[in-house]
This record gives sequence, C-alpha cells and structure tokens, in this order.
Amino acid sequence: MIHLLLQATSESQGQAALSTSVPVSPADFWLPEGASTVSPQVDFAFQFVMWISYFFFVLVIGLMVYFAIKYRQRGREVYARGPSHHTMLELGWTILPTILCVFMFWFGFRGFIDLVTPPQNAYQIDVTAQKWFWNFRYPTGATSADSHLYVPAGRPVKLVMRSEDVLHAVFIPAFRVKKDIVPGRYGTLWFQTDHVTEGWNESDPEKQKFHHLFCAEYCGKDHSKMYAKVFVLPQADFDLWLEKQGRWMDELKGDELWQVAGPKLYGRCASCHTLNGGASTGPTWQGLWTRVSGGAGSDGKLDNGKETYASLIGAGKAFENPETYVRNSILNPGQHIVVPFGNVMPTFKGQLNDKAIDAIIGMMKNLDQFDAKGKFIGSGVTAAAK
Amino acid sequence: MTTLTPSGHAASTDNYLTFTRGIKSWMFTLDHKRIGVMYLISVLASFFVGGLFALIVRTKLLTPGEVTWIDADQYNQAFTLHGAIMVFLVIIPSIPGALGNFVLPIMLGAKDVAFPRLNLFSYYLWITGALLSVYALLAGGFDTGWTFYTPYSTSTETAGVIPVVMGVFVLGFSSIFTGLNFVVTIHKLRPPGMTWFRMPLLLWALYATALIQVLATPVLGITLLLLIIERAFGIGIFDPGMGGDPVLFQHFFWFYSHPAVYIMILPGMGIISEIIAVHSHRQIFGYRFIAFSSIAIAVFSFLVWGHHMFTSGQSPLMNVVFSFITFSVAIPSAIKVFNWLATLYKGAIALNTAMLYGLAFMFLFTIGGLTGLPLGTLNTDIHLHDTYFVVAHFHYVMMGSALIAMIGGIHHWWPKMFGVMFSEFWGRIGCTLVFVGFNVAFFTQFMLGSQGMPRRYYQYQPEFQTYHIVSTMGAYCMALGFFLTGAYLLHSLFFGKKAPANPWGGRSLEWQCTSPPPHDNFSTTPSVGNPYDFSDLRWNEAEQGYEVDPNAAPAKDTH
Ligand code: HEM
Ligand SMILES: [Cu+2]
Repeated sequence: MIHLLLQATSESQGQAALSTSVPVSPADFWLPEGASTVSPQVDFAFQFVMWISYFFFVLVIGLMVYFAIKYRQRGREVYARGPSHHTMLELGWTILPTILCVFMFWFGFRGFIDLVTPPQNAYQIDVTAQKWFWNFRYPTGATSADSHLYVPAGRPVKLVMRSEDVLHAVFIPAFRVKKDIVPGRYGTLWFQTDHVTEGWNESDPEKQKFHHLFCAEYCGKDHSKMYAKVFVLPQADFDLWLEKQGRWMDELKGDELWQVAGPKLYGRCASCHTLNGGASTGPTWQGLWTRVSGGAGSDGKLDNGKETYASLIGAGKAFENPETYVRNSILNPGQHIVVPFGNVMPTFKGQLNDKAIDAIIGMMKNLDQFDAKGKFIGSGVTAAAK
Repeated sequence: MTTLTPSGHAASTDNYLTFTRGIKSWMFTLDHKRIGVMYLISVLASFFVGGLFALIVRTKLLTPGEVTWIDADQYNQAFTLHGAIMVFLVIIPSIPGALGNFVLPIMLGAKDVAFPRLNLFSYYLWITGALLSVYALLAGGFDTGWTFYTPYSTSTETAGVIPVVMGVFVLGFSSIFTGLNFVVTIHKLRPPGMTWFRMPLLLWALYATALIQVLATPVLGITLLLLIIERAFGIGIFDPGMGGDPVLFQHFFWFYSHPAVYIMILPGMGIISEIIAVHSHRQIFGYRFIAFSSIAIAVFSFLVWGHHMFTSGQSPLMNVVFSFITFSVAIPSAIKVFNWLATLYKGAIALNTAMLYGLAFMFLFTIGGLTGLPLGTLNTDIHLHDTYFVVAHFHYVMMGSALIAMIGGIHHWWPKMFGVMFSEFWGRIGCTLVFVGFNVAFFTQFMLGSQGMPRRYYQYQPEFQTYHIVSTMGAYCMALGFFLTGAYLLHSLFFGKKAPANPWGGRSLEWQCTSPPPHDNFSTTPSVGNPYDFSDLRWNEAEQGYEVDPNAAPAKDTH
C-alpha cells in the first residue's frame, strides 16, 4: 500500500521536477534561503504548523494572562466556584486539535515521500564520510579536488553515502535535506535545484556564493569542522569542471604543482594538521620537513618511543628518504604513529594519486611560502610575517 | 505549637526533622520524608554542577571560532557532562525522588511508602550512580553525548565511557525501585475513603510515571549492558565492523528514552495541577480528563520512539507510522493545558511565587509542546532534526516545564517540608529572572536551528553569532535567578517566619498535618474528602494560614 503510494508519487515528482522551475525563496525569520525543488513544500508545511501554533499560543497565553489578572485573589476570603467540567467544551478541544494534527501529518507525509524517492534519472555522486572530512566522487571516477560539492543545476542529484568510521549525516539547509550515514550501510539522499550559485567561477573566494553542507550527526572532536560548500553550476560548466577534476593536475608544470595543487589538496588535511605549529588532532606541518630530513626535531619520538624520525629515515633504514616516509604516512597512516597522537588518520589510498602526493610533499618542503590557512603567498615572505 | 488539623493530631513539638538527631539518624532513616529531603539536596547539588557545565558551553559559544581556554575535545566533554547530569541525575529522579517521596504518602494518607527499606536503597543506588559518574569524570571523562550513540561510544578513546554507562545503569535501578514502591503504595496503602478519584492529581501523575519507570527502564539497562559488553570485550552487537547494527542501538535507546521524557514531564504536570488548583482556590476543571490523560500519555509514550530516528535510514513506512502516532501523544498534552486554563477561569488566583512558576510552566510548556509538532511532521523534521531547534524544543519541555514545575513544587511545599516561609518578594524576582532568562536563552535557539545551525558544534558559521550571544546572555540571567532563589530559600531556613499548617489553602491531606509534619504523618487516620473542594476553608489571621471552618456546609463530591 505504502509502496504503491511511494512509487506513484515518485514518478509524478520526477517529471514535475524537471519541467517546473521554482524560484529561490529568500531567507525569512525562521527559515534560511530555500533553493531546492522540495523546499517550497517543506516551508509550506512548516508555516502551516507555525500558524496553527501562533493561534493556539496566543489563545492559551492570552486567556491565561487575562484570567490571572481578572480573577486575581482580592483579600483572603474569596473562594471561587467555577465550573468543574463542561462536556461539549472538552470534546471540542479534543476534536479540533485532532483534526488539525491529521492535516499536519498529511502534509508532512506527502512531502516526505517526495524527499525519499529519488527520480530514476538522478545523477549519482558517491559520498564518503570520514572523521572529519567529506569526499565526493563523480561518475567519471574523478573526485572533487577541493572537497567541496559541485552539482549541476536543473537535474536531480542523488548522493549515495558511506561512512568509514562512525555515524555522520549530510545536512544542506538550503535544500531542506538531511540523511544519516550509518557505517555498514549505504544511505541515499536526493535533491534538485534549478538555481546556479552566483560567482562560482570567480577566482576570488569572497565573491563566490554557496550553500552550507554540514555534518549533522555528532562524530567526535572535529564534528563542527566537517563542512563543505555546495556550488551549483550550469550543466555545461559543470561538465567542464568535472572534466578538469580528473586531470586538473596534468596541466600544472614544475613548481606550479605544489603551488596550486598543494593548497587545494591541503583542504582535506586541514581538519587535523595545522601549518603554523598550532595544536590539533595530528602533528603540525610546520617544521615537518626539517624533522623528517634529519634536522631539528628529528629525534621526535614515534611508536610509543620505540623509534624516532632519525631511526626510521635515511639510507639503509626503513625509509630510504623523507619522501618515501611521508608517502607511506599518507597511504598507511597506522604504520608509524607520532607520539603523543592517536591512530586516527584514515588512509588516502585510492584517493590521492602519485602526482597529488608529490604536490603535498612539495608544499611541505616550501611551507614558508604559504600562509597559516594554506594560501600560496610566494617567496620573499618570512615565516615571522605570517 | 498547637495544630489546627481536623484529624485531631495531638499538639506536639516533635516533627520529622527533630524526631531523632545525629547524622546516622539521617543516613539510616526509613522515613520517606527524610529520604525525600536527602534526594532534594543531592539533586539540587547535581543541578548546580550540571549548570556550571552549561555555562561553560554557553560561554564558549559567544565566539564562532576556536578559543584558547577550551578546545574541541573539552567542549565535547562539557556538553556531554551537562546533558548526562541533567537528564540522569537531575530531571529523572528530581520530582519522584525528592517531592514525590515527601508528599506521596502524606497526600495518600499513609504513614510511609510500601517498602521503606527499598526506598532508602533507591537513594543509595542514586548515590552509587552519581559516584560512578564522578569517577568516570576523573578517569578521563567521556565525550559521547548523553545519547551514547554507537559506534562512536564504543570507539572513542575517552576512558570514562564504561564507568559512566555503569553509573547510568545503576541510576536506572534506582528509578525502577522508586517506581515500584509508588505503584504498590498507591494500590495498597490508600486509607478508607481514599478512592482512586479522590486522589490528588499529582498521585495520578506519579502513578503513571511509576508505570513507565518500571516498564521502560529495564530496556535502558540491557542496552547499556550490551554497550559495555561491546566496548569491553569487542563482541559485536552495534558495530557493523563486527556484524552489529548501529541503528539497533538507537531503537533500544529511544525505546527507553522517549518514555523517559514522560518520566520527566508527567510528575511536573501533576505538580502543576496541584499548584494551579490550590492557588486558584477552585475546583480543578476536568479532573477525570486530566487523570486519564496521564495514563493515556504513559501508554502512547511507548509507541513513538521512532520519531527520533526519521533521518536514520529506518524504513520510510516506519517513519510514517511513528509520525502518525506522535501526534496522538500531542493531544492528551494539549487537553491538560486547556484544563489548567479552564481552572483559572473564575478562580481566586493568588499570584504568589509558586503560582507564578505554575503560570510560567503553562507558558513554557505551550511553546515546548507546540514546537514538538514541526518535529513530528515528517518533512519538516528532516530539516530540523539534529539542529538547535530540537535543542530548544527539549529545553522548553525538560527545563522550562519539568524543572520549572519542580521549582514551583519546591516553593509550594517548602513551608510543609521545613516549616518556614520564604520571602515572596525575592521569590517573585527570582522567578521573573529565571523566566525571562530562560526565554532569551532558548527562544533564540529555535531560530538558530530552523536556519540550519547543527547541534553539538564547537565552531560555527559566523552568521549565527548574534543569536548565540543573545542566548548566552539569557543563560547568565537565568543563572542569576537561580542563585537568588538558592539564597532566599537558604535564608528562610534560618530566618524564615514559622509556617502555618496550611499557608495556601490546600485541601489535600498534606495540608492537614502540621508544618513540618510529625514523624508518622498522622496519629489518627485522616478524613478524606474531595481534594479540590475549597469551600469549607477560612483564613485565620492569627495563624496566617487557612483552616477548616467547622460551620461550613459539608462538601459534596463533584467530579
Ligand atoms: C506535544 C508533545 C511533543 C511532541 C509532538 C514531541 C515531538 C518530538 C520529536 C518528533 C522529537 C524528535 C526530533 C528530532 O530529533 O528531530 C522530539 C525530541 C525530543 N523531545 Fe519532544 N515532543 C513532545 C513533547 C516532549 C516532552 C513533554 C518532552 C520532555 C519532557 C520532550 C522531550 C524531548 C527530547 C529530550 C527530545 C530530543 C532528545 C535528543 O535528541 O537529544 N518532548 N520531540
Ligand atoms: Cu520522543
């Protein structure tokens, strides 16, 4: 029965969604800007419930205040004799709210069916959630290089989501969608938006408009940093963007690789590694290259004090050279653990190719040319000026 | 001191506080009143600690970014501790343990609860649970959130998880035994004349609560045991890596925790029924509707747990069913509000501190209940779930309603419990500060949530900062109100005017014995009448209290 309903609405929804274009609803007192095809429906249900609530609130509190003033006790001798029951009234205030509740349920139910039934032709993006970042992989096999979510406008998009560790949840307020990601299962969530986010192709991030994507299910230390921006692109631009994701590093030559690709890739590491020596979940990258290449700090302890950088890295040791060590730390992070950090870093096997790792290593070697947020600022700037 | 009780209790200077002396006479007491007082002190101390953690959390949230004085891990521990303390150590045991223990037997006309030893044992279980929680804190804390969701709770490195889960497990038994005691007491110890429909509504509420405590809490117990087993021995129950299912944990947890929210609110509703009727000096409106709606809520509360899991990936059909049933819980709650409102109509309403808390409750519960509706509505909950909207909703019902009722009840029965009157002047100011502060602190959180601010966030988007600052100011205002309240209540213990037997004009049995009551409550069996018929009371200026007018026409039972 329910399944029939589910199917029926899903088909009509799929078509309707493509042919109609709903304007972005601006933010109001309660709700943020609504930009998806389902947001008007959700907002309507919300407003419907709210208006009923305003009515009952004013009624109850108005009468309460009125009675409290009008019938306040004057002197001590007053004993009141109001009615002790009134059957019609009591039936009335049972039945009226019941009817209103049935309506609320119905609007919520209809909207929900649309929310959970992705149209057949939805464009699929695979999402991997990990403590504490997102990875978006597209049908071409490419992943979003800066770990933000880019979607085409005007067609349904389906996220198929998986968690590497604990519960997470995707929440995009502007689209009015949310879904938990349960380890050991795939979660799906779909939306369609017909509105391109302005300025998405500006190089100046200040000019780029975007929607928030939050992690909404508590997942530990950096739960609140598990964030991505959502950019909505015209289909043609989206295709161009996507094509670049696969080979965006190919065009980069020489030093451009770490100067341009480094900061983008660092976005995935930023939730745990700082660049300025600040404490975080993992070791800071400041001075890292010196430590691994035998300079200051190369006596730093690893593996509960059993090893140091110096004892592991160097000719004839476990790692020939610092590059091999760093590469191994990215692909097999659990193998050697820096004291006092925990074994919490996920592996990036299959997510970062050799070129990407080269870019990261290049960035580490030239860290003084980046500011604390990972922006490339060029040489000639001293570390102190950061 | 002479008493004015119609039960003819002999004049005596001994009351339960002075009956025996010495620390041991308290530690091993079987007197339900003393156990109630011990609960009261313990619960209020926990409330103080839980409140400090809340202030830490709110103070952090003044700024959106990282701060130096508290890092993300410490912040996560702070909100976890705040939630766990407030739920398991404060709100769940507060009204049944402290006020229920004190007034239930007296209101019923009994000398004690059915199993006084079990009652004391419940109290010591509470202490054990509290000590385990303190130990958990010292052993390395815990950062799971009060909901202990797996697999985070089985994998986080904080060492306090197992001790605190054991603590909550033990607290669960404390709650079960209290519930059991109350059910048996109400069934078996009613004196002649005390029919079910002559029971004050607080007793109906405590009875409904006790049913939930006895039936739902064991589920929490087994869930927590399974959690411990998984975490300690690596036996997969909830962890998909070991063949378990994390959503199963959520089902188990909410199967208890949704009914548990009614363990928190039902006794509060009972107190409000007393406060509103007594301070309006008028027959309560719709006695039977209120009584039965308590039972209805208790029954329905078992059938809606899935509304906490609309986004969890449980089957859509299940979501639809749970949404539907959720609305059926809203109806009995609404009925109660309408009945209290109708009780005010043509009353003689004394706007004293206890009543102000009663009215504050009606205001806050109305908001709390109404905001449950967009959460029960399926498509809007998808947007609101796990945001500050939910945080605001449950603070309106748990703090704004259950806890405010508790504080109102403390004021209502304070003269009875300790035989002294507190300052009405400071009482009203304290209540106003708490009420205003509460709304400033939590109403803002509805907007935060509906605009998309997720809960349990150490850092947040700068656009939310204004609301956060306002909310924190409200929290400070509330804290001030609570400190003031603590101060004048303590002051009254030493300097307060002596309380009459019946300062407000109540008609239920506790107002018939002296303030404070004698050790065994009633020396002769009290005469039971309609607890809400105030027609035969008159004011005694010399006593500064109400007394029964012997010439009044006999009351007739009208409900
Ligand atoms: C009119 C009645 C009520 C309705 C329809 C209602 C509905 C709901 C719904 C649907 C949720 C889940 C929201 C979500 O997580 O997305 C919720 C959460 C909650 N409600 Fe209510 N509620 C009502 C009254 C109460 C009362 C009386 C209490 C307690 C005294 C209460 C305590 C809570 C708590 C503690 C949570 C969330 C806990 C958490 O996630 O940490 N609710 N409510
Ligand atoms: Cu619930």
